[in-house]
Amino acid sequence: MTRTVAKFDEIIHPTTRLSIVSMLAAVDWADFAFVRDHLELSDSALSKQLTTLEDAGYVSLQRTVSGGRRRVRIQLTTSGRTALQGHAAALRGLLDSADHEPQLGR
Amino acid sequence: MINEVTPADASAALARIDQSRRQVIDEIDMPRWYWIGLALGWVALGVVADLERPVATFVATLAFGAAHAATSHHVMGGRHRTSGARISADVAGRSNPVIIGLCLIGLAILTAAGALATSADGTRHPVTTVSIFAAILLLLGGPHLMSAIRNRAHRASVPL
Repeated sequence: MTRTVAKFDEIIHPTTRLSIVSMLAAVDWADFAFVRDHLELSDSALSKQLTTLEDAGYVSLQRTVSGGRRRVRIQLTTSGRTALQGHAAALRGLLDSADHEPQLGR
Repeated sequence: MINEVTPADASAALARIDQSRRQVIDEIDMPRWYWIGLALGWVALGVVADLERPVATFVATLAFGAAHAATSHHVMGGRHRTSGARISADVAGRSNPVIIGLCLIGLAILTAAGALATSADGTRHPVTTVSIFAAILLLLGGPHLMSAIRNRAHRASVPL
C-alpha cells in the first residue's frame, strides 16, 4: 500500500478541473459527452480543460469512431490519480492546521 | 498558491471532490431492458414448466440460464447503466453481482415453492401463475434493489 503524499496541485485546483478529475477518479473511463453533461460544460470549455490535463499527463484521451460517430473516451492516468489524492490530502492538511491555529494563539 | 487558499476554499474544494464522486454513484443502475427481459423469460419458463414435459423444461431452463449469463455479465454490477461511462468497481461495490445473483436465486426458490403450493391446491397452471407474480416482483423490486445498492455505495463512500 502506498502512502499518499500531501501536495497542493495548481493544475487540479481550479473548480472545473477539480470536478473533472474527481469524476474521472470514480470511473474506469468516461465519454466526453458523459463528463460534459454531468458537469454542465460546453464542448469548448471541456476541451480546453482536458487539453490542460492531458498536457500535464493527468488524463489520457482515446479517440474512436463508433457507428459513424466520433467518440472521445477519457481516463484518469495513474499520475492524475496520485495528484488528486495528494491535492485532497493537502486541502485536508490546510483545514486541520486552520482548526489548530486558534488553540496555538491562546 | 496554497498560501492564497483559505480554509473556506479548501472546504469547498473537498466538498466538490465528494460531490463529483456522489454524482457518479447516482449513476449506479441496471438498464430497464434487463428487468423486462428477465421478467418475460421468467414467465416463459413458467409456461414451459406447466407443459409437464421434463426435457422441454430442462432445455428451456438451460437456454434461459445461458441467455441470462450472456446478456447480464455486462450490466450485472450496475456499473454500466449507460454506454457513456464505466463506474469503477471500488466505487460501485465489488459484491453487487453476488447480491443481485443471490436475490435471483432466492426468487427462483420462492417460485418453485409457490408453484408446489399452488399445485397442491389444484390450480391448473401453477408455475405460470407463480411466475407472473415473480415477474411483477422483478419489475417492481429490481429498481428498488438498485436504489438500495446506490444507498449502500453512498454510505461506503470514503474521502480520497
